[in-house]
Amino acid sequence: MMVARALSADFLKMRRKGIWLLVILGSVGLLAMQGLNFGLRYDYLLQRYQDDPWAGLIGEIFSFVPIALFLGTTLIASQIANVEHGSNSWKQLLALPISRGSVFTAKYLLGIIALAASCLILSCGTVVLGLALKFSPDHIPYLTILKLSFVPFLASLPLFALELWLSLTFKNQALPITLGITAAIASLFAGNYPEWFPLAWPLLSFYGKASPALPVGGGIILAFIIYLAGMGQFRGKDVD
Amino acid sequence: MSELVIQTRNLNKKYRGRYAVRNLDLEIAKGEIYGFLGPNGAGKTTTIRMLLGLIRPTVGSIQIFGKDLRKDKMNILRKVGSLVEYPSNYGHLTAVQNLEAIRRILDVPKARIHEVLDIVSLTKDAKRPVKGYSLGMKQRLGIAAALLGSPELLILDEPTNGLDPAGIHEIRELIRSMPKQHGITVLVSSHLLSEVEQMAGTVGIIREGEMVFQDTIGNLKQQASGGFRLVVSEPQEALVHLIGQGYTGRMEDGAIKLDQLSDPEVALLVKRLVDNNHAIYRVEEKRRSLEDIFMQVIEQGGFS
Repeated sequence: MMVARALSADFLKMRRKGIWLLVILGSVGLLAMQGLNFGLRYDYLLQRYQDDPWAGLIGEIFSFVPIALFLGTTLIASQIANVEHGSNSWKQLLALPISRGSVFTAKYLLGIIALAASCLILSCGTVVLGLALKFSPDHIPYLTILKLSFVPFLASLPLFALELWLSLTFKNQALPITLGITAAIASLFAGNYPEWFPLAWPLLSFYGKASPALPVGGGIILAFIIYLAGMGQFRGKDVD
Repeated sequence: MSELVIQTRNLNKKYRGRYAVRNLDLEIAKGEIYGFLGPNGAGKTTTIRMLLGLIRPTVGSIQIFGKDLRKDKMNILRKVGSLVEYPSNYGHLTAVQNLEAIRRILDVPKARIHEVLDIVSLTKDAKRPVKGYSLGMKQRLGIAAALLGSPELLILDEPTNGLDPAGIHEIRELIRSMPKQHGITVLVSSHLLSEVEQMAGTVGIIREGEMVFQDTIGNLKQQASGGFRLVVSEPQEALVHLIGQGYTGRMEDGAIKLDQLSDPEVALLVKRLVDNNHAIYRVEEKRRSLEDIFMQVIEQGGFS
């Protein structure tokens, strides 16, 4: 499989590039913030969430998940692309006997693996944090905790697909990073957006009163369309 | 004519209405070192990018190993090693890791990494991050990367650019050894004739996107002959005698100046003069340097 070979090479190239540090810092940072929040206001928050302290913790964490996903997506996409831009390696890489589609796809898989790893750390860390805050170990809502990170992650995939495409296309990363940060800030007001608007999807996927089918299904489908469009452009372009 | 490894037909690349490469017919025979020459911006790199499938020709076809590049790109690239312009490498990785990243894509045995490092004499520095390398070492690593897949064709774009004389010599020796030791055909581009004349068997000279000369280096050298100077006793009478025999010549500083002649013609001419009782003091060939010829070709677009 050509994609597997390209991906294996990509894993090697990403060593010491800070991508895995970002994966850990992003998720652990969110947890540390809530650890501090609950640590400082333990009695107040426990009283406020006395019915279900786990749900309270999950809710507090979730309020930062969409923005963290958008920022993480932007930075990871840029880092993945920069490994090749920064070393002028596109011409060397694309003159190897490997299809451009495989190279492109491997970059997407690498990004998805990195983001999913961060989500997994967040979910596991939520359980650890809850237990550290002395919440009942008998009522751990495992499924909700998994959904806490993975459902918004799937709903945020369109932005990842777009960010990675732009980052791979432009050597100058100013445009994709500006766009990503703008989207992250705009996501703070996601509650006011119509539900068909992709920037609202990560929020709606977890908090929506309706089913998460639109934000999650729409997220996956839209991301796939952007990926296919990006691949079409990447395969035909001239490499300087 | 021996088997052609690269053959382009009517190759054109147009950027924003301007031709970077125009009607290029490149022919490179198996096992030779082909020097691809031209001033900066003449279209060498553009041509090489087309040969590697990095950019698409606007018009024209490329055949490598007798196959069409558009249809058999993967099979062709598997047998091609390349180094395009300034070296590409991942500075945060060591030489071994850089080669490993490429090896994983090529899917060749791991032992190959140490073989190619040995060929370019980088074994000693193989475990250091590449960002601390000198330009020459980076260039050698680039050649090692090009050799990793045991290619049959090596395409090197300005491999000696920016190197010091020792580095240039080293790379030149390395390239020269390729056809002999490994049976590899080499295309090497440069903007300096002196750099390729010592290794290339054939040269192609490109100017403003068009091929203005493509032949063996021997034939290029032949163009270097600028005629003969003959110093004899009684030069006036000798010249009259020679003109009477059908030669064209004139007096210049007390010597006879003749146009370019082949070796047997020179022998015959000398014999005739001797038979006519002229004493011959000197027969000198006036040579122009290859660099002069190169300049003439790229300035005028061909031989005058």
